[in-house]
Amino acid sequence: MDSLDNTSWDVVVTGTGLPQSLLVLSLSRSGKQILHIDRNDYYGGDEAVLSLSEAEQWVKNHGGDASERADSTYSHATISHLDAQEGGAKKLGFARAYSLALAPHLVYARSNLLPAVVSSRTHSQLEFQAVGSWFTITAPPDGSPPRSRLTRVPSGREDVFRDDSLDLRAKRSLMKFLRFVASYDEENEQQRMEQLKSLPLSVALKQHFGMNSTTAVAPLLALALPTVSEIETTVEFAVPKIARHLRSIGIFGPGFSAVLPKWGGLAEIAQVACRACAVGGGVYVLGKGVMNATRAEDAEDAEDSKLRLELTGGEKVTAQWLVGCPPDLPHTISTPIPSQASSAEYMAKNISIVSSPLTSLFPPTAEGGVIPAGAVIWVEVAGSSSPSVRILVHSSESGECPAGQCVLYASLRGDPSILDTAVQHLLESVGEQPTPKVLWRMQYRHYTETEQPRGTTTSEGVVMLQSLSTDIVLEDDVLTDVEEAWRKIMGERAEGFMKFESREGVEEDE
Amino acid sequence: MQSHGIPRVAATTLDKSEQARNKERKQIIQYQALERDVVDRVKAKDYSDTTFQLTSQLLTQNPEYYTIWNYRRLILQHVFARELAADEEPSEQDSAAAEKANLPPAQHEVLLLIKEDLQFLIPLLKQYPKCYWIWNHRSWLLGTATKHLPAHSAVTLWQAELGLVSKMLGLDSRNFHGWGYRREVVLAIERLNSNGDDGEKGSGTGNMVESEFAYTTKMIQSNLSNFSAWHYRSQLIPRLLSSRKADTNTRREFLDAEFELITRALYTDPYDQSLWFYHQYLMATLNPSNAQALPVLDPCGREEHARYLEREIGSVREMLEGAEDCKYIYQALLEYSGLHLEVEGEGGEVALGEMREWLRELRGIDPLREGRWRDLERKMGS
Repeated sequence: MDSLDNTSWDVVVTGTGLPQSLLVLSLSRSGKQILHIDRNDYYGGDEAVLSLSEAEQWVKNHGGDASERADSTYSHATISHLDAQEGGAKKLGFARAYSLALAPHLVYARSNLLPAVVSSRTHSQLEFQAVGSWFTITAPPDGSPPRSRLTRVPSGREDVFRDDSLDLRAKRSLMKFLRFVASYDEENEQQRMEQLKSLPLSVALKQHFGMNSTTAVAPLLALALPTVSEIETTVEFAVPKIARHLRSIGIFGPGFSAVLPKWGGLAEIAQVACRACAVGGGVYVLGKGVMNATRAEDAEDAEDSKLRLELTGGEKVTAQWLVGCPPDLPHTISTPIPSQASSAEYMAKNISIVSSPLTSLFPPTAEGGVIPAGAVIWVEVAGSSSPSVRILVHSSESGECPAGQCVLYASLRGDPSILDTAVQHLLESVGEQPTPKVLWRMQYRHYTETEQPRGTTTSEGVVMLQSLSTDIVLEDDVLTDVEEAWRKIMGERAEGFMKFESREGVEEDE
Repeated sequence: MQSHGIPRVAATTLDKSEQARNKERKQIIQYQALERDVVDRVKAKDYSDTTFQLTSQLLTQNPEYYTIWNYRRLILQHVFARELAADEEPSEQDSAAAEKANLPPAQHEVLLLIKEDLQFLIPLLKQYPKCYWIWNHRSWLLGTATKHLPAHSAVTLWQAELGLVSKMLGLDSRNFHGWGYRREVVLAIERLNSNGDDGEKGSGTGNMVESEFAYTTKMIQSNLSNFSAWHYRSQLIPRLLSSRKADTNTRREFLDAEFELITRALYTDPYDQSLWFYHQYLMATLNPSNAQALPVLDPCGREEHARYLEREIGSVREMLEGAEDCKYIYQALLEYSGLHLEVEGEGGEVALGEMREWLRELRGIDPLREGRWRDLERKMGS
């Protein structure tokens, strides 16, 4: 295509991560001239999916302190090849057989993203699979041999009924708590919620719901998926999260509360969104970022008052609007993420490819129900002052690895070395002989964005979208942030966010 | 409108644009013409295939129009009678196919027609799972099959029905049409199997009581709150025990296991009425003066009844802890202790004072039924 130099656009979007991609999807029928660029040579930005060879390249660019890339969300990336040591046992498949997600997220059935995907007519290009069972691995008490116990989390009344490990009283107490959770935001529970909200969840369960044993507490903490330690997890944090889980069960089918998009999670949604924008006339260029953005001081006409952007190759373009997440916006506009600062908050993350399909983690969601492609494991770390490790397990049905293997995504706001131990505990406790092995592992740090003013136009014509959080659940704010941005660009009175008619001549399966 | 949380397909569209209204107007005119055509033809005793196809069209649009189902059956009856009279020589193809199915050609024709009609019903049933007339027509088709075809053919059809009804109940486990139909299917299969003179009656392979009982267990485990499943279970128990040739001890073990099951369920959810109904059923089997519930224990006298009442009153009393606002618990306590008073007289497990306490709680929780509680109070003689 011809050079971008001296071109003029309505909207220039930098970065093809999920927030930006959702925005261009929302603008795809607006008739606006959109230039969508990404400084990487791949789509997906911080939510990208990588094959094995792409991962090698990515690690090269994000290793060490990443001091050269002060605008990067990721750093300290390393890869370990472990299958060579097995000699004769299960081996890695070829590189393209893998689609590893940098930022896998759980999408709850009640998430606002899903209705938007339907109303924007992109759902027929996406396949969602069930995330079925949740498990806990409780640390063995001190002194006993290190055998971790894998326990399935009861997710509702029938699960509680069937669970043999709970005696009658435990069943009753747990049900009592679940009933409270189911209506925690209603009038009649306001008082109780006020009373309990700042208590640690484990304390509230013991004192107010008669749940004395620590083993009864772990499953509930697991459903809340806190990033902090047990004692720091309050009722105020945990109860709405557990409620979200319970209220999401059964919406898309019995026995599961969340879904994952096949073929690489959020990156797949971003790709489909970008495709829709391209169909609507958007122009795509990879390998280009915005180096600089200025605006004429004394603009005389509309054309003059546009933003002047300088791209990576020196091209100069003008735009009415510039949209991006902080890592992609020029430094004149956004503060870089302080990856060098020792006090910087990061999530330690780890992707492991495992030599077994781990079938015991994927029981059918219900009698005659679907076989899930995802499972969630919450691993207690010995010494309860540490937060717990969360592991998302994706089977080969997710399209992320070949049959006979699984991908484990572990995350922890803490010491990265704990991640490997947690993965080991999981593999030891599934009860398979021989113990499944990790064939390949990638480790990295995911940095939290420093506080940016949310969705505000920091300078005229520039719209900043929040990056996705480093956590593993897709929150509703992502889409509401996109909607705010959309409204800025389309005008306050604009209607029909993400509501499109099907394009003429396009077949749709209902 | 929702049924058991499953949204119903709205029959009326909300879109009232001019375009939509014109479209609707045309549809109405077409429908009325179709209806007139069918009615006229049937009045004129035109039972041709064309008329049959027209009823298909009409019923697809409006399966609740039961008169048209009647007409359809008139046509089918006419066709079946004609086939079975077997005046003409069947074609080569038809003879070959019939031989393969181990049926005389005329009956094979009838079987094919029935199968076709069953197929026709499936998408309708999926869309309208609670339409009486669809289930009714299915029933009729299978009844006709049983009447005209040898047992081995009919039973295959019924087996397929069992598969279908299991699927329907999988989609909506509380659809009582499904449960009723299931009982009909099971009965038909058992009858057809026991008619076979293969001497297997003794070994009981003809009866499906075990598998049906297991089915209720499965359904309860996937949804505790299922009046139909618990009810079906209660209906199966007497036959189950006699089929197992259960002696006194086996019966007691069985009953205790059922109590253990329902107690576990009640601890999980004392607010679910279907569970209390089942508990009441189990208690009723012990009551010699209750004609409705067949006894499980054998023998079951006043002594047994009193003992179980005492045990269950104790058990239910413990359920109060943590569920003090559950009216069903108080109701159960009052019912069983009332019974106990009748059986054992006073000075037994429960003091009248405690009963009055429960009644007081109950009145507070359920003020709408004040009249009923006042009657109960009077009966207790305060």
